[in-house]
Amino acid sequence: MFTKPSNIVGLLFILIISCVTVLAFQGLIGFSQNGADLALLQDSYFHSILLFSIKQALLSALLSTLLAWPIARAIYYYPNIYFKQTFLSLSLLCFVLPTLVLITGFVSLLGLSGFITPFLPEQWSLYGLQGILLAHVYMNLPFAVRAMHQQLQNIPDSSWILARQLKFSRWQRFCMIEIPSLSANLGLIFGFISILCFNSFAVVLALGGGPQSTTLEVAIYQALKYDFNIPEALTLAWSQFAIAGIFFVLLYRSNSVPWLSKDSTQKLWIPSIGKTTKGIYLLIYTGTFVFMLMPLIALLPGVLAANYSIDLIVDVLQALSLTLVLGALSAVFAMLMAYCIMLPIRSAAQHRQLQLQNLLQWLANHTLIAPAMVLCVGLYILFLPLIDLDQLGIIFVLILNTLLILPFAIQQIRARVLQYDSDYALLYQSLKLTFGQKISIEWGYIKPVMLSTFALVLLIAMGDVAIFSIFGNNNLQTLPWLIYQYAGSYRIHEASFASAILLLVYFLILLKIERAKHHA
Amino acid sequence: MNKLITLCLATLISSQAVVASAATDTLTVYTYDSFVSKYGPGPKIKAAFEKNCHCELNFIAAEDGVSILNRLKIEGTKAKADIILGLDNALMKDAKETGLIADHQQDVSALSPTLSWSDKQFVPYDYGYFAFIYDSKKIPDPATSLRQLVDSDAKIIYQDPRTSTPGQGFMFWMNAVYGEQTNAAWKQLASHTVTVSKGWWEAYSMFLEGGADYVLSYTTSPAYHMIVESESKYKAAQFSEGHVTQVEVAAALNTSTQPELAQSFLKFLISAEAQSILPVTNWMLPVLDNTQLPEQFSQLVTPKLVDLSIETAVAERKNWIKDWRSNAAK
Repeated sequence: MFTKPSNIVGLLFILIISCVTVLAFQGLIGFSQNGADLALLQDSYFHSILLFSIKQALLSALLSTLLAWPIARAIYYYPNIYFKQTFLSLSLLCFVLPTLVLITGFVSLLGLSGFITPFLPEQWSLYGLQGILLAHVYMNLPFAVRAMHQQLQNIPDSSWILARQLKFSRWQRFCMIEIPSLSANLGLIFGFISILCFNSFAVVLALGGGPQSTTLEVAIYQALKYDFNIPEALTLAWSQFAIAGIFFVLLYRSNSVPWLSKDSTQKLWIPSIGKTTKGIYLLIYTGTFVFMLMPLIALLPGVLAANYSIDLIVDVLQALSLTLVLGALSAVFAMLMAYCIMLPIRSAAQHRQLQLQNLLQWLANHTLIAPAMVLCVGLYILFLPLIDLDQLGIIFVLILNTLLILPFAIQQIRARVLQYDSDYALLYQSLKLTFGQKISIEWGYIKPVMLSTFALVLLIAMGDVAIFSIFGNNNLQTLPWLIYQYAGSYRIHEASFASAILLLVYFLILLKIERAKHHA
Repeated sequence: MNKLITLCLATLISSQAVVASAATDTLTVYTYDSFVSKYGPGPKIKAAFEKNCHCELNFIAAEDGVSILNRLKIEGTKAKADIILGLDNALMKDAKETGLIADHQQDVSALSPTLSWSDKQFVPYDYGYFAFIYDSKKIPDPATSLRQLVDSDAKIIYQDPRTSTPGQGFMFWMNAVYGEQTNAAWKQLASHTVTVSKGWWEAYSMFLEGGADYVLSYTTSPAYHMIVESESKYKAAQFSEGHVTQVEVAAALNTSTQPELAQSFLKFLISAEAQSILPVTNWMLPVLDNTQLPEQFSQLVTPKLVDLSIETAVAERKNWIKDWRSNAAK
């Protein structure tokens, strides 16, 4: 497999992204002249934040996946439910919602003088573990719904027809058709959300209610920024790497290749449901819809109160243009890289080289678990004395964004391309197709997934603030950055307006891409 | 879609084209983002200084004051800057230890006596008192001392001392007022703390959404609401124990190849012209007492200073954070 040119390109990409991480750590280690500060591992503070990080991450992931299940079923069994496409697009919007909207939205709904607070029990408080979980569930549950719905969609019609012929009870259908279709990816969805929540930071502090809610990421931020204590930051980063990394390995090992799905997105046959069930599904669905819309609606009073001027509009549009250009470039690069990186992984899977497959997958996805702040600061330290980062910083913004969205791209397209191989690999090998023919057949099969993945990574890249805050230069502004600039200079309403524009553009992109998918 | 992309590229290129290309001397200043933002002091300060210096003032912005210092530590003698602007008094000691800070050689005797400035390397260009902001329509009788606030059951939001300078300032304040009893005071405060945020804006926007009775900010915050929004309900609570100040400072680097120009910039920063720009763009107080200010500034509270040596506070910072961590946790 190391001789096929297509595999070599993929391996090269894996090598490059691994090198970037090594360079970042090299930057930190080289600067501090010391390795990690291992005394920290004995510190009780370190233990408590570690435990808290893990606890809130696992709980968030558990709640998100558990609650997503009935919702995904509702959409699946009730396919002509109202506004279904909008619902699915909105799901991705929740996943990439700017922190500002999320925090102020929840506070204006559920805070001390929130709209909903009077209807809640007296002892209700938004702040604490419940607030963190609420926000994490808000961001990740819709994402899980989408993923699970996708899995259910992959149940072939033939399974259902067979189940009917065999007169399966509802329970039997559930155990023998639904569960296996989900279990293929359930661990992955759960793990993915846990890792995202494990790395969560600003939301945890804002809604956590005090220092009892401190995650490892807070400590990393403190060490890298306020204390500029690199040895301590290294220990924290290695710990995070180790824990999230082990977690990740376990997930990918437990995850088998989906056996199902000769599927198409156009379902012809889905078990019919009774009136009561329909009612329940409708209720669950509507409840979720309202939950997803609430913080967005809470944004409106701020938008209306903004101090409108030509200046504001021009600034927002200019920032939006840059955001679109940077986001699109990163997303295109990431998609190309993700596809190429999957080539050697697919080849390993076909040849049943499981160990190799796992190793490659781990390396390809490691930027998901490496603390982004560590990568950024490491590269910053390394390159600041070498090149003119004030001029070239924007290139680093592009590179780092691409690397950080890459695991999302891989995660999304992985199942689909592996499925394609398991269904058709033998066939097309025997047909002796030309390269062009192969690509065009495969493209037909993976196009919907590629498009929705592109939308997802585009949105994530467009939302970046962390990287831009380190490498961006002051002549250029992205829209999320502008939002923080407004919020940081008292202009909270203007920040709301800019957030609303960002969300609107997100939504238009999602709709456009959903439509393109349907014409696929 | 294609039209959209063309439009995007066009605006992008036009925004890039603004970068000037004069062949005069360039004075490079490391500062923080909100200083150079359109609404910040940067553009006006640049225009005013360039009028007389026959030079170009070039700002390079880091995220915040701490990031400027970190950049300095990374670059050492290779730093491009002639001036660093935007550190605060709590970072001065750390900055001096880099050995890169030059003497300012300015006459600081005219500066506000409140500051009693004697530092030979850093020049203060504005300052602010940390204070709790409240909505006077909701709270007619605000707390008049820190002790009263801590003992009350008012809902409070402040910033994390590990990740934010106002949060750190508040930690200094608590220790200055409570001394040995600070741990108990943190415990007491925690019982009615709504939350502790990563940075200033999270806390302040949560407060504006009605998320708390009091939020930690500056005595000057109400001036913004009065001047820009014509809204006078937000007020700063004046505490009888006195308040802690955050002084923003600038200094020349001894690696600068144009020390005279650098000195003239420091001189300009504490001139009447620059001082009249800073309060209404950076929303802090001028370091010259007789600066012409909008009328609304006269409505701000003028607290006294709490007894606190910034050197002690900086030296104790790590221990105090540990105390805060274990006592402010619920």
